[in-house]
Amino acid sequence: MNSPTPAIKLQHLAYTYGKAEAVHDLSLRVLPGRCYGLFGRNGAGKTTTMKCLLNLLRPQRGHVRIFGLDPAQAEIAVKRRLAYVPDQVAFYPWMSVRETLDYLASFRDHWNRAKEQELFDRFQLDPAKRAGALSKGQRTQVALIAAICPEPDLLVLDEPTSGLDPIVRREFIETVIGAYQEGNTGNRTILVSTHLITEFEGLIDEFTIIDRGVSVLTLEADDARGRYQRIRARFAQAPPELDLRLALRVRREGRELELIVNGSGPELLERLRALSPEALSTESLTLEEIFVAALKS
Amino acid sequence: MTEDAPLLWLRINFKSGKPAYLQLADQVKAAAASGALQPGEPLPSIRPLAEELRLNRNTVAKAYSELESQGIIETLPGKGSFLSQNHSPLRKEIRRKLLAEEIDQAIVMAHHLQVPGQEFLKLIQQRIDALEHKRRANEDDKEK
Repeated sequence: MNSPTPAIKLQHLAYTYGKAEAVHDLSLRVLPGRCYGLFGRNGAGKTTTMKCLLNLLRPQRGHVRIFGLDPAQAEIAVKRRLAYVPDQVAFYPWMSVRETLDYLASFRDHWNRAKEQELFDRFQLDPAKRAGALSKGQRTQVALIAAICPEPDLLVLDEPTSGLDPIVRREFIETVIGAYQEGNTGNRTILVSTHLITEFEGLIDEFTIIDRGVSVLTLEADDARGRYQRIRARFAQAPPELDLRLALRVRREGRELELIVNGSGPELLERLRALSPEALSTESLTLEEIFVAALKS
Repeated sequence: MTEDAPLLWLRINFKSGKPAYLQLADQVKAAAASGALQPGEPLPSIRPLAEELRLNRNTVAKAYSELESQGIIETLPGKGSFLSQNHSPLRKEIRRKLLAEEIDQAIVMAHHLQVPGQEFLKLIQQRIDALEHKRRANEDDKEK
């Protein structure tokens, strides 16, 4: 086998808080250089999964491997090569932004000053400002700078955009991911959890949807958009009854018909075409729509 | 450097069902075929283009390496990517493909309007004749 060692490998992960099972039998694999999405509603088990990866929680069952290493055994070797941005960022409030970054840099072997300056400029952050006086968005920006400047092999982002206003969100997510991947693209891996999927539409290579701790769907983003489609047809009169059991969802409105399909698009299109519709169109679902469709079916 | 290369003409439609990297590659090919992008002209650098289109830079890099392997663009280390000077062997094929896409649209339209295939072909011939006639008339006017 000459396939590269996965940056992340989870096998049959399970974690229970008291009696509440947060993650149940979750397996996934993230290859180096990929941008991998972990999609789920609030409480689906995304944060618990990430905490198990980082050895912040000990899984009761299953295996975790980061760069082929067990993070519980080789904690320092693993943490040296990754950076984590939690959903709630906290800094020492009395330190300035400059001091905060210097403090965090002191734990790292390497720190890219040029990248730090570039992001400072892009975000228009004032290095003299006290961390305690930063807004939530600015705190996240500082945390992201701190995560990217050591140029780790793996970046773990837990809901990086939630709680930020839409303009800041748009502004920084592609900036941050672009800045991180610049350089050694092949080995810069990202695992990002979010329920705000639209913002990551073009950034995600592959994703897993989890719901109530269980993996519902794992697909490459391009394959997913190829398989999940919306078909719309309009007929001269109300369409006759036809077999649409292949569709995930069927909506009839008078002469119109709307289907959501997963993989059976060509076959259903053929059947509809045979009925000579006035209009017939297809479009791919967005990742967010796929998320909704996967959770509903 | 390709810092100033135009990048606003490239667009991604996630609803098309076509992978984003192929959409990018096809748009560059179309621009090359139509002459909108001239041989030797620079393509945008990967990072600004990725940020503009909100794409993963791997996706843009994949589109570029696809174009490079087909000889449509060339990448010079430290300078960026440029439309190849010599990409003529592909031009005819690409032109045909572009035209085929337009024809497909018209065929679908003909189907919806219930115009049979034979009638559709006749109509195409009529249109070619009509345009040819118009072109000749224009030339005659110029000669006078």
